[in-house]
Amino acid sequence: MNNNDYMRIDGNENGKRLDPRRLEEKIQKAVRDGARKLEIVASGQQGIGGRLWAAGEEPVYLRVNGSVGQRVGSMGFSNTTIEVEGPASDDVGWLNVGAKIIIHGHATNGVANAMGQGKIYIAGDVGARAMTMTKHNPRFTEPEVWVLGGVGDFFAEFMAGGRAVICGYASAYENVLGYRPCVGMVGGKVFFRGNHRGYSTNDAILTTVGDDDWKWLSQELVEFLNAIRKPDLLATLTIRSDWQVLRARKPFEKLAANRRSVKAFASDVWNKELGEGGVLGGLSTIKVDRSQITLLPTGDLRRYLPLWKNEEKLAPCQNACPTGIPVQKRWSLVRRGMMDKAIDLALCYSPLPATVCGYLCPNLCMSSCTRTMASLAAVDVRLLGKASISAIAPQPAPPTGRNVAVLGGGVAGMSAAWQLYLAGYNATIYEEREELGGKVSATIPQSRIPEEVIHAELARVKERIKVVRMTLDQNCFARLCEKNDFIIIAVGAQKPRILAVEGAEKALNANNFLRQSKRNETGVGDKVVIIGAGNVGCDVASEAHRLGAKEITLIDIQEPSSFGIERKYAEAIGANFLWPRISKKISDRGVECTDGSFLPADTVIFAIGDTPELGFLPAEIKTNRGFIAVDENFRTSLNQVFAIGDAVRLGLLTEAIGAGRVAVQAIDSEVRGTITKKLQPVNKERIRMEYYPPGDSGMGDMNGNACACFSCGMCRDCGVCVAICPQGAITREETPDDDFTYKVNENACIGCGFCASACPCGIWQLEENANIL
Amino acid sequence: MESVGSINPSKLSPKDLLWRILWDKEKCRLCGRCTAVCPVQALDLGVQRKRVVNIALGITETPSNVYGIFHGIRQKTDLSHLCVGCGMCELVCPNRAILVVRNEEMDKARFHINEGGNPRRRGGRRNNPASLLDAIKFTRISMLTDPALDAGRHEFEVRTLLGRLIPAEDMMKITREGGYLPPVREIYPLMIGSMSLGALSPNMWEGLQMGVAYLNEEMKMPVVICSGEGGCPPKLLRSRFLRYLILQIASGYFGWDEILRALPEIKEDPCAIEIKYGQGAKPGDGGLLMWHKVNQMIAAIRGVPMGISLPSPPTHQTKYSIEEAVAKMIQSMSMAWDFRVPVYPKISGSTTTLAVLNNLVRNPYAGGLAIDGEDGGTGAAYNVSMDSMGHPIASNIRDAYLNLVKMGKQNELPLFAGGGVGKNGNLAANALALIMLGASGIQIGKYIMQAAAGCVGSETDRCNVCNLGICPKGITSQDPRLYRRLNPDDVAQRVVDIFLSFDQELKKIIAPLGRSTSLPIGMSDALGISDEAAARRLSISYVV
Repeated sequence: MNNNDYMRIDGNENGKRLDPRRLEEKIQKAVRDGARKLEIVASGQQGIGGRLWAAGEEPVYLRVNGSVGQRVGSMGFSNTTIEVEGPASDDVGWLNVGAKIIIHGHATNGVANAMGQGKIYIAGDVGARAMTMTKHNPRFTEPEVWVLGGVGDFFAEFMAGGRAVICGYASAYENVLGYRPCVGMVGGKVFFRGNHRGYSTNDAILTTVGDDDWKWLSQELVEFLNAIRKPDLLATLTIRSDWQVLRARKPFEKLAANRRSVKAFASDVWNKELGEGGVLGGLSTIKVDRSQITLLPTGDLRRYLPLWKNEEKLAPCQNACPTGIPVQKRWSLVRRGMMDKAIDLALCYSPLPATVCGYLCPNLCMSSCTRTMASLAAVDVRLLGKASISAIAPQPAPPTGRNVAVLGGGVAGMSAAWQLYLAGYNATIYEEREELGGKVSATIPQSRIPEEVIHAELARVKERIKVVRMTLDQNCFARLCEKNDFIIIAVGAQKPRILAVEGAEKALNANNFLRQSKRNETGVGDKVVIIGAGNVGCDVASEAHRLGAKEITLIDIQEPSSFGIERKYAEAIGANFLWPRISKKISDRGVECTDGSFLPADTVIFAIGDTPELGFLPAEIKTNRGFIAVDENFRTSLNQVFAIGDAVRLGLLTEAIGAGRVAVQAIDSEVRGTITKKLQPVNKERIRMEYYPPGDSGMGDMNGNACACFSCGMCRDCGVCVAICPQGAITREETPDDDFTYKVNENACIGCGFCASACPCGIWQLEENANIL
Repeated sequence: MESVGSINPSKLSPKDLLWRILWDKEKCRLCGRCTAVCPVQALDLGVQRKRVVNIALGITETPSNVYGIFHGIRQKTDLSHLCVGCGMCELVCPNRAILVVRNEEMDKARFHINEGGNPRRRGGRRNNPASLLDAIKFTRISMLTDPALDAGRHEFEVRTLLGRLIPAEDMMKITREGGYLPPVREIYPLMIGSMSLGALSPNMWEGLQMGVAYLNEEMKMPVVICSGEGGCPPKLLRSRFLRYLILQIASGYFGWDEILRALPEIKEDPCAIEIKYGQGAKPGDGGLLMWHKVNQMIAAIRGVPMGISLPSPPTHQTKYSIEEAVAKMIQSMSMAWDFRVPVYPKISGSTTTLAVLNNLVRNPYAGGLAIDGEDGGTGAAYNVSMDSMGHPIASNIRDAYLNLVKMGKQNELPLFAGGGVGKNGNLAANALALIMLGASGIQIGKYIMQAAAGCVGSETDRCNVCNLGICPKGITSQDPRLYRRLNPDDVAQRVVDIFLSFDQELKKIIAPLGRSTSLPIGMSDALGISDEAAARRLSISYVV
C-alpha cells in the first residue's frame, strides 16, 4: 500500500503532545472530510480509532505508529481496521463493536474487555484479564481474539461469548493460559495450543477440537497469520492434535461440586479410621443400632404402648362395696345374656345377697356410681340383690382339712363361715341363740324386709354349715382354741349402752325393744321418746309406730347421723327429730333435758349403740374401748384368733360381711399361700360418659340397668377400640374359657393412644414403652 | 355429660396456654399421627357429644333430641401436658388439619409452672429475639479507594490463630535462647462450640464431628469443634480426627480419667483444651445430666456408673482466686500434652471479664480467652438464669479487645466470642461484626442445632424441652426412639453446607473491605449502627 494514500495525523504538534480530546477531534474531522486511510503517529493518547461511523459503510483504515495509548480501537465500528505497528497498551479493543484491530507486538492487560463484535489479532503475548466480559450478541457475528503467544492471568473471566484463539507460539510456555483462566465463563470458546496449568472446571469444559471448529480454525488461521505478516507459520500451527478447546459449561452442565459425598466419606474415611463400632466403638457391650427410623415406628420402637388392662382396676361401685361385690361384672354378665351367672356370682361374696343388697344395705355402690358424676341415676343394684334369692351357691374349693370355729351366727359370723365353706375349710358356727342371723333375724323391723327372704337365705347357710348352740365363757373359748386351727370371733355387740342419768333404769334399750317388738311381746303407749337418732333409733321409731305410738320423738346431742331407708321410714311415719338435746333426767312422765325442755313420754328407749359382751376373752387378746383390737386383716393380738363385725367396730351389715371375707382371705393366704391382689380404683375421669345420652329413660328393668352401667374398668366388649384404631391393629379374640380378649398387633400399632382415649370403660392404658439402649 | 368439675388456682383453659392447637374436623382423617408423635402428650383423642334438637313445626310431631358422638383431636390443658409448640403434629399431619399457634396474649401457664415449689427449668435460649449484632452494619466498603475484591472471583484463605502469639522480636530472642514458644493453631474462624455427648444425642454428636472432619479433609477448611464436657469416645480419642477437636474440661471433670488413660495411645494432639468456667446462657448455674439420660454409653464415656445424675457444679471446687484458678488449671492442662496444645479458659460474659483477661495476659501459657454471652444456649437451666443472668457479648468482647489494645497485646492473646451468634439466622453478619469488634474467632451452638439438625427452638419459647430428653428431632435425647430419627450423615452434610455457605457470605463481607487473607479482627472502622448509644459504647460509627 502506498504511503501517499495515507493522511497523516500526528499526535504531537509543535513538539507538544496533543491532548487525547484534540487528537480524536482531528481524526473524526478527517474521516468526516472524506479521509479513509489515516496514519496516526501516536503519543500515548487513549482510545485511538473508535467511533468512526461518519464514514458510513465505507471502510476506514488506520495505521498507528508511535507509542499507542490505552484502549486502542475501543468502541470501534465494523467499518474500521486498525493496525498498530508495535506493541499496545491496556484494554485493546475495549467495548469494541466491530473493528478489526491488529497489533504487531505484545499487548498489555485487558485485551478485548467487554468486546461485543470485531476481531483482535495480536502478534505477541497479552497481559492479564484478556477476553474478559466479552459477549456474543446473536444479531451480529461473535467477537474474536487471536493471540500468537500466550495470555496472562485471569484470562476469560466472565467471558460470555466469542472466540479466543491462543496459538502458544514462541519459546516454550509453561502455561499459555495464565493463572486461573475462565472463572465465571458462561459462553464462547477458547482454542489453545500448548501447556496449561488448570482452569475453572466449574465454568469450563476442556475438549478436543471438533471438525467444524477445526475447519473454521484452520481457515481463519490463514487470515490471522497474513494479518500479522507471518504466513509461514501456518504449517506449524495447523497440526490439529496440538489444539484443544475450552468451552463454557452450559447451566445444566454445571458441576454439583466435584467432591466426595458425605456418605462416601462416612464409610470410606470416617468409619475406617475409627474402626469397629464407629465413633461409639468400645463403649457398649451390646451393639447399638443407631440407624435411622421413621417418625412413627411400630413394634419396640414405639414410644407408647396400648395395654388392654381389663379388670385390673376396681370399678367405683366395687371399690365402695365393703363386701367387695364386683357389681360391674354382674351387669356385664347380664348384658352378655348370662343372667344366672350374674345372679349366682353374689354368693361368692356374701351369703345374704338378697337380704343385704336387695333390702337392708344402704347400697354404697350406688352412691359412688360413676353415673352420678354425670347427674344420672345410679344403676339399681337392688334389682340384682332381690333376684339373688334364687342364686345357686358355687362349689366349694377342695377341702383343706382345717377346722375353724366361728363364734357368733350373726351376719359377720355367717359371712366368715360361708367364706370358709367356699374355701374348703371345716367351719362351725357357735351361737348362743336359736336362730342364726343376729340383728337381721332378731331386731330389724319386718317393715324393712319380708320374713321369707331372710328365712330362705338363712336356710341356704344352714344347709351347708354346722351350727352348734353354745354359751361362751373363758374355758370353752380355750377349748375351741385347742380344737381349731383358727377362731373367728363374731359375737356382735349385744350390751346396750346406757346413759348415766337419773332414772336411766326406767328406759328400755333398743336391742331388747326391737327383739321384743318383733315378737310382738311389747307395747309402747302413745308417746315415745327415743334417745339417739341414728339408724337404730329410726328402726325403733318405725317399730314404735307399728305398735301404735302416736307421737314419736328422737333426740340427739348432735345432728343425727341416720341416713338412707331407715331415716326415710322414720320421717314417713312423722317422727320428730330434735337436736341438740341432752337428757338430764328420765321420769315416769318423760325426759327432762339440760336446756330445761321436757319431753312427755309413755316409753323412753335408748338407741345410743351397743358394746360387745367380751367376758369370754383371754387376757392375751387386746381390746380397745370395749371392742376387740385387730389389724387390717382383722387378726387379733392372738395370732390364731380373728375378730370381725360389731365386736370390733359398730358398722353396716355389708361391712360385717366384708370383714368376714377379709379374715378368711388372711387365713387362706396363711394356709394355702393364696394371694389376693389389692386393686386400685379406676380413675373416673377415664370413663367416657359422652357415649351415654343424658336422662335415665329406659333404665327400668335389669337389662335397662345393665346397658346403662358404664362398666368402669371392665371391658364391655363394645369394639370401639377396634373401630377407632387408625392402624387396624386391634383385634378381638375368644378365649377358651368362654371369655374374650383384645389384642394389639405390634407391627401395625404406632402408639397413638386412640384406643385409650376412646375406650368407654377406661380399659386401654397408654404406657411409656420400656427403655431400650 | 362430662362433668366440668371444679376449679383450682392452676386450672387452665386453652385460652391460658402459650401454644394453642387448632384442629379442623373437616380435614382430619383421625390417623393418630399427631398424638403418637407429640413429645409431651399434649394431644389426645376426645370423645365429644353433639346434639341436634329437632323442633317439629307441625303440631302432630313432638320436638326431639338427636344425640351423636364424634371423635376429635383435643389439646390438654393440665400443666404436665402443656403444648411446647414444637409443631411435630403439623409435620406429620397428612391433611394439614392441625395448626399450632401462639396465643395472642401472654399465657397464664407461666404463673403456674412451679408446682411443688420448683421453678421452671428448660433448655434452649433466652427467648428474646432482639439482637444488637443484627443491627450492626458494615459501612466501610471500598469504593474506588482500594482495589476491592470480588468474593466470587478472588481466592480467599481466611484463617485465625488459636494460641499465644509471640511478637516477632521476642520470638527471635526466644528462639535464640531456646525458650518456650507456645503452641499456636491456624484454624477456621468459625468453630462449633462446646456441646457434650450426653447433652447431645450420639447421632447428633457424631454428625457434627463427621461434618467437621469432612471440612478438614475434603474441603481443606481447618474447622474445629469443642467436645463439651463429658469426655470423648475412646475411638475418636485414638483417631487422627482428634486434631479437629477442642477437648473441654469443666467443673464435673467427666471423662477425663478416660482421656488421660488414652494418652499413650493418642496419635494426634487435640486442637486445644478449653477450660470451662461458665456458660453465657446461665452464668452461675451448673449443669445436671439427669439420671435417665445416663445410659450405658454415656456412662462409659464419662467414666461413671449408669443411671445416676451427673452434676457439674457452677464452680470448680479447688480454686479460690482468679490467679490460682487460671494459673493452676492452664498449667496442668498444658502439661497434659507436654505444652504442645494450646489451653484457654471459657467464661460467661460478665463485667468481671477484664479481670480475667488481665490475668491471662500475664500468663505465658494462656492460649486465649473465650467469652460466652447471654444469648448462648443451654441444654438445661433455670428459667431465671437463662432469662435474666448474663452479659451481652458485643460490649464484653469489645471491652476485652480495647483493653488488649491499651496493653498493646491485641495481636498476642486471641479472644473468642459466642452467645447468640446467628440467633436470627444472620450467622456471617453477626460473626463478622464480632470479629471486627475484636474477636479472633466465633463459637456457635444453637445455630448449628437449628441449621444442621432442624432444631425447632426459637426465641419465642418454642419447644425448649432439651432438658427433658424428649427432643422431637433427636438432637438432645439419649432415647434411641428419638435420636434414631436423626441420621448422622445428614447432619454432617448440613454442617458442610453451613460452613461452605458461611464461607461465601464471609467473603461477601470482607471482599468489599479489600481483605482476602487476613481476618479483619478489630477492624471496627468498618462497623456502623443506627443506635447512637450503642455506637458510643462500642466505639463504632453512628450511622443513620
